[in-house]
Amino acid sequence: MVGASGQGINSIGAIVAKGLKRSGYCVFGYREYPSLIKGGHASYQLDISNQCIRSTETRVNVLVALNHHGLELNMEELKQGGVVLHVTPGWQFPEHHQKLIAERNVRVIYFPVDDILNRLGARAILSNVLLTAFLWSMLDQDIDALKSLVGETFAKKKALLELNMRCIDEGYSFVDPEQGTISVALPPPDKGFASHLLITGSQAMGLGAVHAGVRLYAGYPMTPSSPLLSFIAELENKTHMVVKQAEDEITAAQIVSGAMYMGTRALTATSGVGFDLMSETLSLNAMIENPTVFVLAQRPGPATGLPTWTAQGGLLQAANCSAGEFTRCVISVSNSQDAFDLMPVAFNLAEQYQISVVVLTDKQIAEALYTQHPYDLEKADIDRGRLVVDPEKLKALKSSDRFNPHAEGGVSLRWLPGSDAATYCAQADEHNAMGAVDESSLNTNLQMEKRLRKFRGLKAGLPEPHLTISGRSATTDWMDVGDEIELLAIGWGSTGDVFQDVMCSDELRGRKIAYLHYTYLWPLRTKELQRLAKRSKRIVLVEQNYQGQLGMLIRMNCGLDIPDRILKYDGRPFFYDELLSVVIERCASTSENEQNCPGFEYAGTSS
Amino acid sequence: MNIALQTRLPALSEYYSETKCIWCDGCGNYGIWTAVRYALVELNLHPWQVCLCYDVGCHGNGSDKIEGYRFHGLHGRVIPFAAGAKLANMKVPVIAFGGDGATFSEGIGHFVHGVRSNYPITFVLHNNTNYGLTTGQASSLTPQGQPMNTSPNGIPEHTLASMDLIFSLNPTFVARGFSGDIKLMTRILKAAIQHRGFAFIEMLQACPTYNHFATHEYLLDRYFDANADGHDPSNLQQAKALATQVQDRIACGILYQCQDTPHFYDRLIPRQGVETTCVEEVRRYDVSEYWKELV
Repeated sequence: MVGASGQGINSIGAIVAKGLKRSGYCVFGYREYPSLIKGGHASYQLDISNQCIRSTETRVNVLVALNHHGLELNMEELKQGGVVLHVTPGWQFPEHHQKLIAERNVRVIYFPVDDILNRLGARAILSNVLLTAFLWSMLDQDIDALKSLVGETFAKKKALLELNMRCIDEGYSFVDPEQGTISVALPPPDKGFASHLLITGSQAMGLGAVHAGVRLYAGYPMTPSSPLLSFIAELENKTHMVVKQAEDEITAAQIVSGAMYMGTRALTATSGVGFDLMSETLSLNAMIENPTVFVLAQRPGPATGLPTWTAQGGLLQAANCSAGEFTRCVISVSNSQDAFDLMPVAFNLAEQYQISVVVLTDKQIAEALYTQHPYDLEKADIDRGRLVVDPEKLKALKSSDRFNPHAEGGVSLRWLPGSDAATYCAQADEHNAMGAVDESSLNTNLQMEKRLRKFRGLKAGLPEPHLTISGRSATTDWMDVGDEIELLAIGWGSTGDVFQDVMCSDELRGRKIAYLHYTYLWPLRTKELQRLAKRSKRIVLVEQNYQGQLGMLIRMNCGLDIPDRILKYDGRPFFYDELLSVVIERCASTSENEQNCPGFEYAGTSS
Repeated sequence: MNIALQTRLPALSEYYSETKCIWCDGCGNYGIWTAVRYALVELNLHPWQVCLCYDVGCHGNGSDKIEGYRFHGLHGRVIPFAAGAKLANMKVPVIAFGGDGATFSEGIGHFVHGVRSNYPITFVLHNNTNYGLTTGQASSLTPQGQPMNTSPNGIPEHTLASMDLIFSLNPTFVARGFSGDIKLMTRILKAAIQHRGFAFIEMLQACPTYNHFATHEYLLDRYFDANADGHDPSNLQQAKALATQVQDRIACGILYQCQDTPHFYDRLIPRQGVETTCVEEVRRYDVSEYWKELV
């Protein structure tokens, strides 16, 4: 679906997606739009399958153009035998498009939306329902399913409901006089998807945060973190959470830090330069050993950059920003599953180590629409680390327990303001065990070492990156018998799902490809990577940034240099077909250059 | 503020800290520090029952000279941190302290929104009319033309009319104290801590090292207790006049108080009828009800 922002492509997309999911299809929704409210060219693409898919193709079977700009701009994206559905009266395709239509056997349908609206006495806003209904009939879907779906929205507005139903009847029964009845065949449905959720990464993250016990949310609007703020705010009357739209990112970060110091679980989210403003607070929390969680939703920079597009350029920012040396943790969500699962994990890590955890996401995850199995609500624990709450134990505490430099693993006891116990100062100046300022050499060393010592325990406790292997069969598993890996790809974040869809493609069937996915990015574990690297013919880094930032961290950690990189930094996510073709190229050249292509080298000694 | 009735009344010594005070002789911080301890004790608050948040500056170096759950943070940021702490646990009185530099330069946005939000916290402005800790630079409250460190010819900017600014934000509590009158400051602090909303107290404070224009003697000659003179804190117009007109005499005491404006937390619809605090509510939540609409 393409059209101007505000024209209704999102509502058509959302209804069709939900309808198809209920019919038993896995739907993956992808939005492109400019940073504008009205006008500008926007799109809402649905990729549909009866198997699990989590990526988008560059090409489409059906193009719905709500204005003539779509006819000008998006024709190239049509597949062989595709269908164009448009509403522009008397549109004459230019010569090169007529050629394209002929070559690709594209069928063009003009849908006379204004005529039908006039006949029904309906307002322009209902054109979306008409179009949706026609699309629905083209997809051979049941009209009653659409009616019940639309009915849910207008259940309380009877007059509107009736008009909507008439529009559905009209749209559904429309037949193009030239093309006749057109049917776009879908594979047989898998009813298992019907009970799934249709959810964005932001909604998944919001649900995960509530699940994790977050009771206060403070944020400042900035795409692509704003949908999380909106979702949490929409739920506030049900969750009874404190939700604060702060006056800036510094405030949001400080409110959340104050709330965490007091002992609740609190969350904030931002993007790029908003996170710059939060970074001083990251440093503060390191010094006062205050557990905190920050969501950094990435978009292309520098500066305002491309506000409504995607990127993975924030990894080094998350891992390195802010004053001084301290232990922090950086993790990244990859899709709607771990956007939920990682929220309790992030808060547990923050409280276990009394550190800040930065959770990376990106615009693609934040706004993509996933078909998601309902979440397991029993899996997560709430682990508050060395938090003392027992009244007897509180009574026994000394002020100097709070920042005791000799505490095991550098993690000292923590107790909350308002507890009947000895008090302490959460001191941003260098301080002694009870939080009194102490600039002596001895104390400075002890406290620095205390805070940095957490790094070792944190790193040892984090999971290794996750390995996915293609071409695995039940009988002979090439990976387990020690075969050489043809291509080892390394990635993180939203790249992972696309790569895994690519690995499952028919074109790569039987190839010995392994994909190593990093969720825990700092501290970075490289043992598994180094082991796999030794048995790989070729290694490639797959990232959505210019420098190959994960590659830089890998090299910094273990010396492994990965010069072969598939990088993308144009604000678009990796598309399935695009990534597939570059992976096929890599595999082909690996076979050709078996003798002389090491693909990687060690730049230094490993740690 | 909720103050639980205690069977054992706190003693002033409970607030005693072994850390030695390092302020200059004659610094106004000694008086404010003393008044804070008196006020807390007189309100029957033990150190473990209070949260004291300090900004960066000479006053902030007092964060380890008193007992209580304390926080000493980053320059200019104390108000949002203190607000977050309070919103997380409404049962603990939260008092924030900040200097004129932090409050009216680096953190002026936080201050404006703090008053506007009417967070249920007490904010004590240590106003010594300069940046003491960074060796006597002009703040935005230093008189224009006054030579200071880094501005030997005096600052070219206008002096910020802080009280005019505050009254433009519809405050619910405005008071002024003087570091030379502990009894007056104690009275103001007690009223502020008991106030339901953002209680702003300006403490006029001597800085013998860097402030040679509004000295202890200067302030001593001019200050007076406006309440003792019959000023009614509910009189907004008179309060504004007393707050802003400080050329001849400086009105101290509780200048303005509005008791019937709900504070930030009371305005949160989702929290109405909720008896617990956010701190007490941390647990794993079943969120399946919230995803029903997504199926």
